Amino acid sequence: MRRGLAGYLAMLPIGVLLTIGFILPIGIVALYSVMPPRTFEMTGALTAENYLAAFTDGYWRPLMWSALGASLTTIICLIFAWPTAKALESAGHRWSTAAAILIALPIFISESVRLFGGSLFLMPGGGILAGSLRAWFDLSIGSILNTRLAALLGLIYIHFPFVLFPLILGLSLVPKDQIEAAHDLGASRWQVFWQVELPLAAPGAAIGALLCFVLALGANAEAAILGGQAVTVATHAIEQRFNYAQDWPLGAALTMLVILITALVVFPIMRRLDFDRLIRR
Amino acid sequence: MFLVLEGLAKIFGSNKAVDDVSLSIPEGEFFTIVGPSGSGKSTLIRILAGLETPTAGRVLLRGADITVMPANRRPTCMVFQSLALFNHMSVGDNIGFALKMLGIDAAERHRRVETLLDFVRLPQDFLGKPVTQCSGGEKQRVALARALASDPEILFFDEPLSAIDYRLRKILEVEMKDLHRRTGKTFIYITHSLEEAMVMSDRIAIMRDGAIIQIGPPEEIYARPASRFVAEFMGEVNILPVSGGEVAGQPAAGIADGWLVVRPEALRPLGGGAAADISFDARVQNDYMLGSRTQFHLMALDQTLVAELPAGLAAGVNPGDRGRWGFDLGDCISVKE
Amino acid sequence: MSRRLKAPLLAAWLGVVLTLLYLPILSVVLASLANTRYMRFPHKVWTLDAYREALGAHDTVQLHLTSLKIASVVVLLATLIGIAGALAFARYDWHGRRMFQNIVLLPIFFPQPVLGLALLLSFTAAGIAPTWQTAAFAHLVWIAPIVTLVISIRLYGYDAAQEEAAFDLGASRLQVFREITLPALMPGIISGALFGFLLSWSNLPLSVFTTGADTTLPEWLFSRTATNYSPLVPAVAVIATLSSALIVLLVVVLAQAAKRTRR
Repeated sequence: MRRGLAGYLAMLPIGVLLTIGFILPIGIVALYSVMPPRTFEMTGALTAENYLAAFTDGYWRPLMWSALGASLTTIICLIFAWPTAKALESAGHRWSTAAAILIALPIFISESVRLFGGSLFLMPGGGILAGSLRAWFDLSIGSILNTRLAALLGLIYIHFPFVLFPLILGLSLVPKDQIEAAHDLGASRWQVFWQVELPLAAPGAAIGALLCFVLALGANAEAAILGGQAVTVATHAIEQRFNYAQDWPLGAALTMLVILITALVVFPIMRRLDFDRLIRR
Repeated sequence: MFLVLEGLAKIFGSNKAVDDVSLSIPEGEFFTIVGPSGSGKSTLIRILAGLETPTAGRVLLRGADITVMPANRRPTCMVFQSLALFNHMSVGDNIGFALKMLGIDAAERHRRVETLLDFVRLPQDFLGKPVTQCSGGEKQRVALARALASDPEILFFDEPLSAIDYRLRKILEVEMKDLHRRTGKTFIYITHSLEEAMVMSDRIAIMRDGAIIQIGPPEEIYARPASRFVAEFMGEVNILPVSGGEVAGQPAAGIADGWLVVRPEALRPLGGGAAADISFDARVQNDYMLGSRTQFHLMALDQTLVAELPAGLAAGVNPGDRGRWGFDLGDCISVKE
Repeated sequence: MSRRLKAPLLAAWLGVVLTLLYLPILSVVLASLANTRYMRFPHKVWTLDAYREALGAHDTVQLHLTSLKIASVVVLLATLIGIAGALAFARYDWHGRRMFQNIVLLPIFFPQPVLGLALLLSFTAAGIAPTWQTAAFAHLVWIAPIVTLVISIRLYGYDAAQEEAAFDLGASRLQVFREITLPALMPGIISGALFGFLLSWSNLPLSVFTTGADTTLPEWLFSRTATNYSPLVPAVAVIATLSSALIVLLVVVLAQAAKRTRR
């Protein structure tokens, strides 16, 4: 009856919100990115200077570090998430639910708190780790705080649950009896993993990896709190252009480059996903 | 006439889901529409219930035109295929829903729900029971009680037994007929199983591609199917061509050209010179034990024929046997096309 | 790997993962139990002084209020928008639904600081000064899709025939929504609202760029991690986290009580 109309009416609120709050701002940033450098109007002459400057003036370095960090984070998180997901799968129902909740809880504790805790833990001298080792084992250790490694660890720490839960979802979609059938037909444990489990869990793994990469690409706090001055990430470089250098167009161009990388990974994967099938199981 | 359908049609794009259907149904009849999926029976019943509007035609109830009256104002109620019980409510709240919508106060609703629980033979302590905790059969009864609550003129049933296991279905078929007798209401029922329809109905309509191709009491459909399609609908039957007054190369007196419907029970092995109106050579391919009867697949007359024999006769027949089989014309039905 | 080795090994792995996940959080709690202006663990004196100071400070209240204002607005709007959005996402059939599903997910698969910066630029270009209200808007852009998703998942197990049955039994369209659709969605709505609250309360990247002169709890903590250390900072961190947990607990208890009285 009113089938078609109801859908359109229902999508209006969020449609309007996302148009004003997501699509429009990106459009504004895109426009600024082609404005003459250090101007604040959107009505200047169109120019590609800012994009050129991004590469010639060394702004590609923060982009590269962010992309590298995001890639490493994604790979390492996947490697850690797989055994974790398997462990949750094989544990008894009550234990695995309790463990899953415990792993999920920190997501709702602010990054600022968790990363702060990380820096307190890694702090040299009187930090939780260094202090305990000194007091109980008389060991003096250095600190990895304010290094790229610390920033990477921070990225892995924050983004791990985002890889884990879609992976758990993906694994739950692998029918147990297909694994059993593969074994029954003579496949070795490795062959079963490679030929049956991995392909079937791939959608979940892909979503998790995608989410992790995209979020880590723009991550700011990890490098700031744990990495100190050791590494400048893309977002920080962008912020500096906006605030200190007062160069909106250049900042906008850098922003567009990050968005471009995001779009390049998000769109191919999203196009292949069928949410109806995924959630309806 | 109580319920009249005049030239009802429903077209979706280029698809004629319901194609010029006209019917008259007297009050209190158990009327079943039988057809395969895609025959339009679901669409037809939804039009009658007010959940769809037809693209052409009228629906008249006691002479009043209710074609565009929406379902929530029609004096009819539907039992859905998935039962569509309100999962977040109790049995009592489900049953009393229509009464609540009518604005009847809680005390009166309570009283009527209790009566309905008795009527569908559910214990009174089910009143507060969450519907999700009920068994399949209990859910059926709740759905029935819910539909009866507002005392509708017509009850519609959209294949309510199709998702039930065999044993429970047989029990519920009989209960459905009993319910019809006890309420005295008009039941309009749709199903894809002719067998099910025969158990319960006063009249059956066979529907195909949006149109009604035969309508009549169960005995008539069984004895005189109007076409090959209807005959095949009744289950496994053998269809033999009749041309030039002959069947299987033998004279078939009094049978019109067209097709001959031969039931599996009509075929028998002709051992030791026994005779039959029509006989032929056959080789037994397979046998299937069905309890007190055994089904045999025969290779004969350039097709596979299905025969059913009672246990005694079946004992002497084995796969691989070659012999004469036959049937009498009096046991068959002739159809035009 | 033999089956007998596998189970305890996996269990040990889970233990390692959980320990690593909670070490930083534990560190915050431990650090808050000192009264020295520099961090020196193990503390000579273990005390709750920092908490007393934090609870008495005017700033703490102000920060809580700002975070609360933003989170409340976000929860209210995200829930309403999310209910409608979920119906469009998973319930109704309409042209463009597939594209809509992808668009709704975009703000989630997007680096938050970049979204924050893009919004900041847009606000400034439009002459809007950033305040807690602009921050609420920023949160909404990210959180409304999440709430939509949470409620949509609830809808996938929902038999839409229930609505037709209710209509057939005499309900008006409004009554169908009130009696059937909404109650069926309620668990999803409540968990969506709670998610939205927690995500807004704890959010850092969007708040940092869009609150302007106002400050939320995470922002304050972020600004104090590098400079001006005192045990007050981890104490506020703990209080902030406990506050949100308390609010969530309160809502859950109230929801259970409401469910019970409705019976």
